[in-house]
Amino acid sequence: MSNYIIRRIISVLPTLIGVTFVIFMFQRLIPGDPAVAMLGEHATEESIERLREQFGLNRPLFLDREALADGDLAGFFDSQYVRYMKRLFSLDMGESIHRRIPVAETLAIRFPATIELALLSMFIAIIIGIPVGIISAAKRNSAIDSISMVGSLVGVSMPIFWLGLMEIMLFAVLMQWLPAGGRLGTGIEIKPITNLYLVDSLLMGNFQAFKDVFAHIIMPAIALATIPMGIIARMTRSSMLDVLQEDYVRTARAKGLGRGLVLFRHALKNASLPVVTIIGLQMGTLLAGAVLTETIFSWPGIGRWVYDGILGRDYPIVQGGTLVIALVFVGVNFFVDIMYALLDPRIRYD
Amino acid sequence: MANITPEEVIVTDFAVREHRSLWIDAWRRLISSNTARLGMFIVALFVLSAILAHYFWEYDPKVDLDYTLKLKPPTLVANEDVPSVHLFGTDKLGRDIFRRVVHGGWNSLRVGIVAVGISLTVGGLIGLFAGFYENINMTSLERIFLFGFTGLIMGILPAWAAAQPLQAVLMAGLGVAAAYFPNFHKDSINRLWIFAAAGGVVTAVPSLFAGSLVTLVCGVWGILTGALLSRPLEGKFFSNVMMRLMDIVLSFPGYLLAIAIVAFLGPGLEKGMIAIGIVSIPVYARLTRSAVLAVIQKEYILAAQAVGEKHGRIIFRHLTPNILSPIIVQTTMGLANAILSAAALGFLGLGAIPPEPEWGAMLGDSYRYLTSGAWWAVLFPGLAIMLSVLGFNLLGDGLRDALDPKLRT
Repeated sequence: MSNYIIRRIISVLPTLIGVTFVIFMFQRLIPGDPAVAMLGEHATEESIERLREQFGLNRPLFLDREALADGDLAGFFDSQYVRYMKRLFSLDMGESIHRRIPVAETLAIRFPATIELALLSMFIAIIIGIPVGIISAAKRNSAIDSISMVGSLVGVSMPIFWLGLMEIMLFAVLMQWLPAGGRLGTGIEIKPITNLYLVDSLLMGNFQAFKDVFAHIIMPAIALATIPMGIIARMTRSSMLDVLQEDYVRTARAKGLGRGLVLFRHALKNASLPVVTIIGLQMGTLLAGAVLTETIFSWPGIGRWVYDGILGRDYPIVQGGTLVIALVFVGVNFFVDIMYALLDPRIRYD
Repeated sequence: MANITPEEVIVTDFAVREHRSLWIDAWRRLISSNTARLGMFIVALFVLSAILAHYFWEYDPKVDLDYTLKLKPPTLVANEDVPSVHLFGTDKLGRDIFRRVVHGGWNSLRVGIVAVGISLTVGGLIGLFAGFYENINMTSLERIFLFGFTGLIMGILPAWAAAQPLQAVLMAGLGVAAAYFPNFHKDSINRLWIFAAAGGVVTAVPSLFAGSLVTLVCGVWGILTGALLSRPLEGKFFSNVMMRLMDIVLSFPGYLLAIAIVAFLGPGLEKGMIAIGIVSIPVYARLTRSAVLAVIQKEYILAAQAVGEKHGRIIFRHLTPNILSPIIVQTTMGLANAILSAAALGFLGLGAIPPEPEWGAMLGDSYRYLTSGAWWAVLFPGLAIMLSVLGFNLLGDGLRDALDPKLRT
């Protein structure tokens, strides 16, 4: 097993290097000069040149051919890419071009916001998706089955930004039950401990704040939950149907065990593997794909921030944000693979 | 009892049923399913309305403007306030939303088809070749091509560093030589040394003019490349490289990657199509590869090899038809996904350029008026997105059941 894990870690390395490479390429290929973006249109040639010098933007992208021809080996490797990799390894993400705030600092606030939203969405998706899948499988080909399967397909087909807008229209504009956006109402203070506000407000014992935080998070969480909910329900159903055809299920029923007991104790356990996998994969998508939800609900998360960074040519933000998202993505996939090998002893990887 | 003449007896041989092709079988299964019929109905509705509107219902978005009709709610009959009928109401520029939704369908379908076309062609070919050569030994001609190409790619660095293209050509030549003499000092460490030395020489010597350090760097690179070329590279190598590349693309969340590609290419419907197409290439590559792996050990492939058919013919005549079903299903669902992603890009202002009608862009245009009560401007374009995506998903679901009865659950 540990052998498999080590080999899996080694196979992730080229992917990670490729990811950093693509991120580097993107921030350099997006049209526009970062130095001009930093200083504005009216900057003098001189100051732009000085800034380019300061950030190493006047260096070649990968390798310096002229330095090599001059016999300067260190100069050959002193390129933007190498500098970027060096900064990455010293965990220095630079600072935002426009706001002059260190990227790591903003990340520490914004990343938990996205995580909180994604976790709550996944929780909603699981507590609805799995029971729906189980019931559909148990009552196969019944009206309940058809309705819940078409329903889950509607969930998969949902444009989440539109669902979010409809929620705002119903619950914020018409009914005025919930706030239309943001993460926290005015006048409510939260002492950041974990930066997950739901947890923080509970830790403070401030239920007023908890209610407020919950009112803010519930609409975006539901909007974000629809697609994974549909996917989980469908996966649970098909996986349960597979297992319910097995001999041991028939044996369990034949020896007189109750329907519910067989369904939950015997079938669900064995059907859970693909479901766990899909939950893991969806978690990565949720963490990352929150751009749209965050835009509509003005949620101060990482997706929205990177999107603004791309449009505003704020390269350090794009670089830091995308890197964290991609790392989480790769990490979750890696974790799912390992879990798979641990959970299913039938799978042999050597 | 009357006599029965032989003509009156209908002979039914229950053991032999009428001959039906697999596709007709699948079609019958498809139209017997309620959900698939619903899907087909929705898809047909959207496709027909989009095509008919595009060719027979003139609409020029550039001149469509009427401030007197700004943000009017839906009307079924004309009245004094709104002299014309607007089934879905009007938007902030007084444009009829029904008309724009119908015409927007043309753009959404176009995005879907082009994007899926890109990812299916590129991803499908990568998957086919990767899966095939992972299991089937390459012919010497193919190996020469693979080695030569690898040499050429690896030779680009020294060629660039020394500012002359000669090294790349020489490295390609070295690759071809390595493939042409696979048995030269085979299973001996000598092969490694010889090729490494050859690689060092062909890169170092031409770069002598560029300076001693250039020669050194090029030489080291050449030695490493020569060592690589001395190994018996096979299809596994190609497949590994390709799949690793796909992993890299997959480790970026789809939306962010698409946004970044559009930011690089500039906004516009066509750029959006390309971005969405690129993002989903790995999905098709992986799917095709795993489908190939599932059938590559089958007897008919062995038989085709045994009678000496060319690899290209095996791939396209024997392999491709047998892996079509999962790809057809994925293509249908991919259309749904592409429409959804295009709408998302449009909503963020990165898709169709206004005033071009596109569902996502229409939503992005109008959602600020939601607070002033203009629900119709948001409801109908969104419904169009959801219904069309649902239609393709239902159809894909039905196709999966119809094409692969084994999976039917």
